[in-house]
Amino acid sequence: MKKTTPAAFFGTLIACYIFWLLITGQIVSIFTGNASWQILVAGGIVSIIVSLFAARFFIHKKAFHLYNPLRFLLLLFYCIVIFGWELIKANVYMAVRAFGSTKKLKPGFVKIPTRLKSDYALAMLSNCITLTPSNITVDVAEQDGENYLYVHWIDVKEKDDMEKAGDSIKGAMEPWIRRIWE
Amino acid sequence: MSEFIYFAICFAALALCLIYRLIRGPHSADRVVAADAIDTLVDMALILFALYTGRSIFLDIALVTAILGFIGSVLISRYLEGKL
Amino acid sequence: MRIVIDILICLSILFAFAGVVGMIRMPDSFMRMHSSTNITTFGVLGVLIGGILYSIIYLKDISMAIKLAALIVFYLVTSPIAAHAIGRAAYRSKTPKSPNTIVDKYGEDLEDE
Repeated sequence: MKKTTPAAFFGTLIACYIFWLLITGQIVSIFTGNASWQILVAGGIVSIIVSLFAARFFIHKKAFHLYNPLRFLLLLFYCIVIFGWELIKANVYMAVRAFGSTKKLKPGFVKIPTRLKSDYALAMLSNCITLTPSNITVDVAEQDGENYLYVHWIDVKEKDDMEKAGDSIKGAMEPWIRRIWE
Repeated sequence: MSEFIYFAICFAALALCLIYRLIRGPHSADRVVAADAIDTLVDMALILFALYTGRSIFLDIALVTAILGFIGSVLISRYLEGKL
Repeated sequence: MRIVIDILICLSILFAFAGVVGMIRMPDSFMRMHSSTNITTFGVLGVLIGGILYSIIYLKDISMAIKLAALIVFYLVTSPIAAHAIGRAAYRSKTPKSPNTIVDKYGEDLEDE
C-alpha cells in the first residue's frame, strides 16, 4: 500500500469538491450569486475526509495530469466523437444479433496484445472495450514486459492471429487513449 | 407532457419481463446480471417520472439507486470469486 | 424540438427492448452479459440526453440538467466495472460455457499457472 502524497491529496480534493458542486446544484447558484455558505463548507469538510482516505487508491503518480485544459478537451473529444461512433456501431450490431438466430454465434475467449503501459490507460482501454456491446474484458495479464487483455468475444472471426483480433476489437480507440494518457 | 408516463410504463414493463431471468436463471451470475439490468431500467422509469413532474428530488433517488446497484453487484461478484 | 426528444427516448426503449430479448434468448451466461451491456449503454444514453434537452428548453432548470449529465458520467464509469467483475467471477466459479465456444485462451493460460 502506497503512502498518500500531498499532490495526490490535493488532486483528489479538487475532483471531489467539483463533483459535490455539480451534484448539489450549487455551481449555478454561485454564478447567480445566491449560494448558501453552509452547503459549501459542508462539501469542503466531506471532500477533505474522503480524499484523506481515498487518495492512495486514486492517484499513484502525476497527480495533476488531467487538469491540463488541452488534455481535458482531448478527453472530451475522444469520449464524444471517437467512442460515440464505436458505441453506435456496436449497439446496432448487438441489437441485430439479439433478434437473429443465436445458435449460429461462435463465442470465445481471445487474447489480444496492447502497447499501453500506464495503469490509467490500461484501465480506460479495458473499460472502453467492455462498454461496447459484443466484447467483455475478463482479465489483464503481464508476460515478459508486454500487457495482454483477455476478451470474451461474441462472434469470433480471428481464432489464432492475436494482432488481427486486437485490431478488429480495439478499432481506433488505442492511439487516442495513448495520446491522452502518455 | 404526458407521454413521459407512457415511456416510463414501457421501461417498467421491460423490467417485469426480466424477472423471468431473475427467477429462472440457472446460475448465480445470471441472477446478478438480471438484477443489475432491472435496477437500471427502474432508474430510467424514475428519471422519466422526474421529468414529468419537474421535481429534481427523484433524480437524487435515481442516483442513490444506481450507486447501490453498482456496489451490490461488485460485492456479490467478489463473493462468487471467493475473495470475501 | 419535442419530436427530437421523443425520438431519442423511443430509440432508447427500442435498444432496451433488444437487450431484454437478448437476455432472455441467449444460450449461456457470458452472452447474456453482452445484452445487458446493450441496456446499460444506449438504453441509458437516449433517455438522459433527451432529459437534458427537455430540462434546458422546457423546464429552464439548469441544475437538473447538470445532475442528469453527472448521471451519464456515473453510468459510463461504473457499468463496465460491474460487468468486468461479474464476468471474471463467473469464469472463476466455473459457470458452464456454451457448447459453441470455439476458442478459450483464458482457460489455457489459467491452467498453466
